[in-house]
Amino acid sequence: MSFSFDLYVQRRSWLHAVDPRVKLAFVFLGTLLMLAFKNLFVMLLSLVVTHLLIFSAGVPGHKVKWVWKTMLPINILIPTLWVIFYPEGPTVLFQFWFLKVTALSILRGVSLALRLDAIAFICFTWLFTTDQASLVRSLVKLGLPFEWGLVLAIGLRYIPTFYGLYTIVSEAQQARALDLTRGNFFTRVRSYLPILIAMLISALRTSEQLARAMESRALGLPGIQRTCLRDIRFRPADYAYTALLIAIFSFLLTLRFQFGLGTHPLYLF
Amino acid sequence: MADEPFRTRGSKLETPNSAIVVQDLWYSYGGEVTALRGIDLEIQDGDYVAVIGQNGSGKTTLVKHFNGLLKPARGRVLVKGLDSRTCSGLRDTADLTVGQLAQTVGYVFQNPDHQIFCDTTREELAFGPRNLGLPEAEVRGRVEEALARFDLKEYADRPPAVLGYGLRRKIGVAAVYAMRPRIFILDEPTTGLDWRSTMELMDLIGEMHRRGHTILLVTHDMKLVAAFSQKSLVLRDGQVLAYDETRTVFKHSEVLRDTQIEPPQITQLAKRMVPFGMPDDVLSVEEFYAAYCRLGG
Repeated sequence: MSFSFDLYVQRRSWLHAVDPRVKLAFVFLGTLLMLAFKNLFVMLLSLVVTHLLIFSAGVPGHKVKWVWKTMLPINILIPTLWVIFYPEGPTVLFQFWFLKVTALSILRGVSLALRLDAIAFICFTWLFTTDQASLVRSLVKLGLPFEWGLVLAIGLRYIPTFYGLYTIVSEAQQARALDLTRGNFFTRVRSYLPILIAMLISALRTSEQLARAMESRALGLPGIQRTCLRDIRFRPADYAYTALLIAIFSFLLTLRFQFGLGTHPLYLF
Repeated sequence: MADEPFRTRGSKLETPNSAIVVQDLWYSYGGEVTALRGIDLEIQDGDYVAVIGQNGSGKTTLVKHFNGLLKPARGRVLVKGLDSRTCSGLRDTADLTVGQLAQTVGYVFQNPDHQIFCDTTREELAFGPRNLGLPEAEVRGRVEEALARFDLKEYADRPPAVLGYGLRRKIGVAAVYAMRPRIFILDEPTTGLDWRSTMELMDLIGEMHRRGHTILLVTHDMKLVAAFSQKSLVLRDGQVLAYDETRTVFKHSEVLRDTQIEPPQITQLAKRMVPFGMPDDVLSVEEFYAAYCRLGG
């Protein structure tokens, strides 16, 4: 069974109860912070914090494992490329022909990979604990037109459907002796055409049916103000979380730009 | 198994007549949901077997093992292949790719739109034979023969994607037919078809069977099972509940009750009339009528 693209984990935790707009602010400010810092320990600290948040929300370990597995190629590729192409610093650990491996380049490469991990986990903290309806509702509340929100919701809803469609179409074409492993790179890319075209035809057919189904349920009726069955509201706790978030963000940003915290990959100051 | 009204297991041993042999087959999706639990089965050359059971009973999972789309987690699936290594001509699907198995096992998917992608019906039918590496003259011959057999000549140069559902369904079957596999697996081929299109398609499948092909029909339509298939394989929770002559399977409808399978109404009516001398294994209106005439006469 493939991993579900619906990342949301249904629980009744404190983090699930937080208004999705607060979580969106956490993603935005958290990402900015990660981009502002370059220090290895800051990245590790942010990873510890996001893991604590995720586990406190009751997200199962296999979901966290999946994120790490997805990030693994990046975690290998970035430090490797950094070491090869950006040799810097006085401490040379190893030198052969054009390759010069320095301690600083390793630190920077690892720090950059961890920065991407941290940003990924900040985003997944939001996605693991926010269902699609609330996610779209929060964006609409922030000013996104409803139709755009609906498009986003449909897009998210159909990711697993199209993944499933890809699997079935791929099986159907392989059952007609289509070999996806034969030949060089270009031959193999070309052999995916029967799958892609069949998927495209199915997708067009689905989109047409979906549009008609929505229209027949009165979507886009002029002069009607849509109502909402389940609205989201800021609770006192959400105001407190927002204030705490802004305070931490401002404090860390002051440390970073006033006192130079976390500009070096290894040393905090 | 002595107290069971019908057989639940095929022979574990391969015979010269075996088309497919399944030995202690287990399969689970992602190691979490166990879909098949120790299936033993033998399907003989030229059999017409209906694979039936409620949703989630493991029908599609089982037949996907026959053309290698799924590989056993435990156990073996042996299929009669072109390149035989055993005396009975059977080969383990674990050693073969889906493409290699496609020469022997044709799989018609439930939705024809999952395979249709070419500009013309003719090209669509040629796709499979070309993948098998056949010479172009042979491919053309097979395509023309398939077009004629499935009455598709009129649509040969039209884009299949824009044709009606019934025609697209027929093209899906014809495209696999053009590859000339010995074994045909049809996964709910009549879903969404009207009665006339269903009968047309079933007649074509019946004709393939008469020409010596082994047919495996996955379906929920018990009228079709009663009318066309010689044997029925009933699955429940990934296990074989019954595998016997269709007549025998439907005769013991009480055993099938908790699988949500109901024999055709004519079979049920005949069973209610057993006290009046009606046989208890009637499968069709014609049989019922004949028996009724004998009773009346």
